[in-house]
Amino acid sequence: MKIEKTALAGTVESSDIQFTLSASDNGIQIDLDSPVKDLYGKQIIQVIEDTLKAYNIESVKVKAIDKGALDCVIKARLVTAIQRSLGMDEPNWEVL
Amino acid sequence: MEERLRRTMMFVPGNNAGMVRDAGIYGADSIMFDLEDAVSLAEKDSARMLVYQALQTQDYGDAELVVRINGNDTKYFHDDVFAMVKAGIDVIRLPKVESAEMMQDLVKVIEEAEKKFGREPGSTHVMAAIESARGVLKSLEIAESTDRMIGLALSAEDYTTDLKTKRYVDGVELEFARNMILNAARAAGIAAFDTVFTKVDDMDGFKKETEHIYKLGFDGKSIINPRQIDVVNKIYEPTRAEIENALDVEAALEEAHRKNSGVIALNGQMVDRPVALRAQRVIRLAKASNLINEEGDFIEE
Amino acid sequence: MEVREIDLHVKRNFDRWHSFLIEHGISGFAPQETAAIDRTFIWNEAGQIIATGSIAGNILKYIAIDDAYQNGGAMFNQVVSKLMNEAAQLGRFHLFVFTKPKYIKSFSYVGFHLLAEVEDGAVLETGTPDINDYLDQLPKINDQHDKKIAAIVMNANPFTLGHRYLVEKASRENDSVYVFVVSQDVSLFKFDERFKLVKAGTEDLKNVIVVPGKEYMVSYATFPAYFLKDDQNVGRFQAKLDAELFKNKIAAPLNITRRYLGSEPYSKTTDVYNDELSKVLPPEVEVRIIERKKNVGGKIITATQVREAIQRDDLSMIKNFVPETTFDFIKENIGLLKDRF
Repeated sequence: MKIEKTALAGTVESSDIQFTLSASDNGIQIDLDSPVKDLYGKQIIQVIEDTLKAYNIESVKVKAIDKGALDCVIKARLVTAIQRSLGMDEPNWEVL
Repeated sequence: MEERLRRTMMFVPGNNAGMVRDAGIYGADSIMFDLEDAVSLAEKDSARMLVYQALQTQDYGDAELVVRINGNDTKYFHDDVFAMVKAGIDVIRLPKVESAEMMQDLVKVIEEAEKKFGREPGSTHVMAAIESARGVLKSLEIAESTDRMIGLALSAEDYTTDLKTKRYVDGVELEFARNMILNAARAAGIAAFDTVFTKVDDMDGFKKETEHIYKLGFDGKSIINPRQIDVVNKIYEPTRAEIENALDVEAALEEAHRKNSGVIALNGQMVDRPVALRAQRVIRLAKASNLINEEGDFIEE
Repeated sequence: MEVREIDLHVKRNFDRWHSFLIEHGISGFAPQETAAIDRTFIWNEAGQIIATGSIAGNILKYIAIDDAYQNGGAMFNQVVSKLMNEAAQLGRFHLFVFTKPKYIKSFSYVGFHLLAEVEDGAVLETGTPDINDYLDQLPKINDQHDKKIAAIVMNANPFTLGHRYLVEKASRENDSVYVFVVSQDVSLFKFDERFKLVKAGTEDLKNVIVVPGKEYMVSYATFPAYFLKDDQNVGRFQAKLDAELFKNKIAAPLNITRRYLGSEPYSKTTDVYNDELSKVLPPEVEVRIIERKKNVGGKIITATQVREAIQRDDLSMIKNFVPETTFDFIKENIGLLKDRF
């Protein structure tokens, strides 16, 4: 699946993360801005990739501004952004 | 069902990642994640998903986990219920309840969700927030509306507006509602929670109000700031004499049990069921307040 | 604390908001600036405003937070988050902010990137698509970094023989020329029309690349003057900021080493603008100010005169001032254009 419609979710408040998803012409592109990028960047990107995979998304530009979010927060915000972009009325219960 | 301590129910805005994360560290007896008033319309989906994910992964210790969902008359209601049931929430709190029917409608959706997600039928409990004159007058019917009910909560902001009054320091405007809700809850054998005290800096006023509702018999108070927890717990702390008495009752019960005797007496008085129940509650409070240990021995400072 | 949206058309709302901003050092509420506000939010504590922020187009404006509630920046992050989420609801994902240099750090913390900074102010952007996306999608030539690349920025309202003269000259003197057409739609000719006419009027020049300037070129109207002192020259300030942005964020990555400007005998604004560009761009970018082309009658060609001629229905005069492509368009649409006045 491809992300076509730009969508945003999350905040830049402490312990949160803000995602902006938009169309990509080159598969999955992840741009992560995080104060803990050196330490946990890989882990955060892993959570992002796993979540995209669960929704079968193969093409998307992901901008993430992390403010020290836990994995569950990263997942929650990204899922919300995906649902907003895809215009899903009901969450995809099977993948949650 | 064993009655649990519900001295404090802490409100946590459902879309605040930091507060959702930290909700478990303050020692509130119940944590209430709010998807309703604390969340703007544009963020309903975001908050629901945040609370859902947090419930799946975060450790909130022994706290009872409650979520305040959006009302049956909103388009968020159905998804809120489904997500929270799937996440295994302990209690769903419905706002602005005015009839038993509203609770029964909620239960129908919960049943559907429990079935869909393979949750044990009946494992999701409910409670009602009473926020209007009609709700207050119907509180007994609401309290008895379903087996899943664990409590009634007074929500004073909307209620006082409905009454054409406002909040006063002495709480005179809430007297009738408090008594109605408390009596309805007790008649139905469920818990009664008092409203929030919004002036977080007025600790003195908060203390007075909590002392008042403690005397009335409320199980506890809704709180919006972790700083209020200790104040409530201190007020609910039993006295040394109350604990000694409760321990005596327990000892008498044990003695009767050993002797296989149906008659339980203490100091020449019959120990009937209400006395036994109150003793159990005092002991739970004493343990929660760190006054006695699991064996019932006093913990010396 | 609760946050809610207010309608500034309601006098009481406007008055409370206005006095809160004044108390917090924001002055200057020109009607054209407040009229551009789409949405305004206030944060209340015990009936008092403790913070506010607004959205005007794709710009976040009028952000102020009471000192007592700063909470180590947490309140600021909350305000900006709210504005970004609300802007997203309006379909606006690419946002700008104009602010004092001392707040660059705060905005950077919440994901904004600095576009340009001068002594009294700065402009930052966030979201998507951003300036890197913009640069990525511009056409490039082979070995651009070893070539002589020039740039011209024009509003072309409409494209005249004067513009054509400037482009031709740059085309002759360089390997490649970028013509940035100002994207902002505040002119008689709409952006699509201006862009099309520039393209049509330069089609024969094979080394000319016509591109939209987007938000990165001369967006005077978007610039809020409200944090400048009254005696400061707003035009000069804006020109300086615009020049800094062009130099560092556009010229450097595209290897543009020359910028062509038309001399401006009639307009003070353009004069100030050219003056600032000449101060800021060199030595990295050479500035070439070219004398205005005169028409056969010896008169200087300006787009202003063309617009005046349209109003007078003076097609024969227009013919002397614009290339055929522009003339054909005006002739065909003169009724429509006149209606826009």
